[in-house]
Amino acid sequence: MATYKLYYFNGRGRGEVSRLIFAAAGQKYEDIRFEGEQWPSHKSEMPLGQLPVLEFNGVKLPQSISIARFLAKQFNLAGKDNFEQAQVDAVVDTIADLVNKFIAVRFEADEAKKQELGKTFFAEELPKQLKNLETLGKLYGKGGAFFVGNQLTWADLLFYDVGESLLGAEANALDNFTFLKQNRAEVAKLPKIAEYLKSRPVTPF
Amino acid sequence: MANNTLKLYYFNLQARAELIRLIFAAAGRPWNDVRFENKEWPQYKPKMILGQCPVLELPDGTQIPQSLTISRYVARENGLAGKDNLESAKIDAVADTQRDLNDVFHSKILFEKDQTKKAEEIKRFTDGDLFKHVNRLMILKNAYSRDIKYFVGSNLSWADLYVYLSIERIIKSIPNMKNSLDAHFKPTLDMVNSNSNIRKYLNERPVTPF
Repeated sequence: MATYKLYYFNGRGRGEVSRLIFAAAGQKYEDIRFEGEQWPSHKSEMPLGQLPVLEFNGVKLPQSISIARFLAKQFNLAGKDNFEQAQVDAVVDTIADLVNKFIAVRFEADEAKKQELGKTFFAEELPKQLKNLETLGKLYGKGGAFFVGNQLTWADLLFYDVGESLLGAEANALDNFTFLKQNRAEVAKLPKIAEYLKSRPVTPF
Repeated sequence: MANNTLKLYYFNLQARAELIRLIFAAAGRPWNDVRFENKEWPQYKPKMILGQCPVLELPDGTQIPQSLTISRYVARENGLAGKDNLESAKIDAVADTQRDLNDVFHSKILFEKDQTKKAEEIKRFTDGDLFKHVNRLMILKNAYSRDIKYFVGSNLSWADLYVYLSIERIIKSIPNMKNSLDAHFKPTLDMVNSNSNIRKYLNERPVTPF
């Protein structure tokens, strides 16, 4: 029987998309969460000294997006053929572009610069990327609420998680994006996801 | 050209399309390699799904953006993405790790115009980040490879092609790193260079500034 272990910090961060995939699939796994002070003693156990890591049947895989793609494919949440998978990947890459820009703002050490970057991000960059996501959703989504092929894929789960972080920073971030708001609402309504969201630990990030 | 041929739209540059072209070439699959100059971009931009390129267009007109997504799709169509889901994941992990290195190289060095700043950044990069990332690639190779020429398993994958392009690019920018990078990557670099399909493509491709 396949065994899955997910190693990450006790937070959503780059691990949550995989937890959402496990939840959507109804798949049991060991959800190993390190507190900050525990991490240094485990760092050398991870192939690249980084988290998250997935251990699948004893083989360790790094890189959060690759892990998520692997899990989604294992559980048929990645698109029904290579072409749908490419559409899903295109949505994921577009979300990743957004996340990278968002992170650059969040981790800016200089407070004044951070304010400035934040203003530009929320006024210009974010709407541009969100518009791109709506374009893809409308083109690939076959008229449904999900990004690709009228069924749930990990692209929806990733956007759900990233959306949560965006809304935490700026409550109005999705106001002008009907497709995206509806997409997150549909994800949250799915019984297995709703159950997971109710029962998961509440964490600062 | 046969009407089941895929079309790749990009500038007449290597940059973010070259990996895709190398994958087509390695697979021996013809493709419609649409290249435009900078001044033609305004005519193409509105036709591209997100107003960006590269874009892959299928015969029915559907477009896929995002260079690594396109690379993975073309690789999978042509048996260059691993024999099962786990091998694909290992290939993805190598590609993501190479990309982490490339992100540092691109942001700090490749497009730095100030020569003094560039020299400082190169020194910082070669003293630290470069080999931090190289070591990570080697750790993954040790864990996943079954043949020293290939990063994963014992067959060519798009991860090998991505590493090849990326490392060759770094050597071109920082020539005095060639020996220390060869020490780690030579089996893969030689393997790609001696692949006859790739040799043919490399010999025939347009010469571009980058």
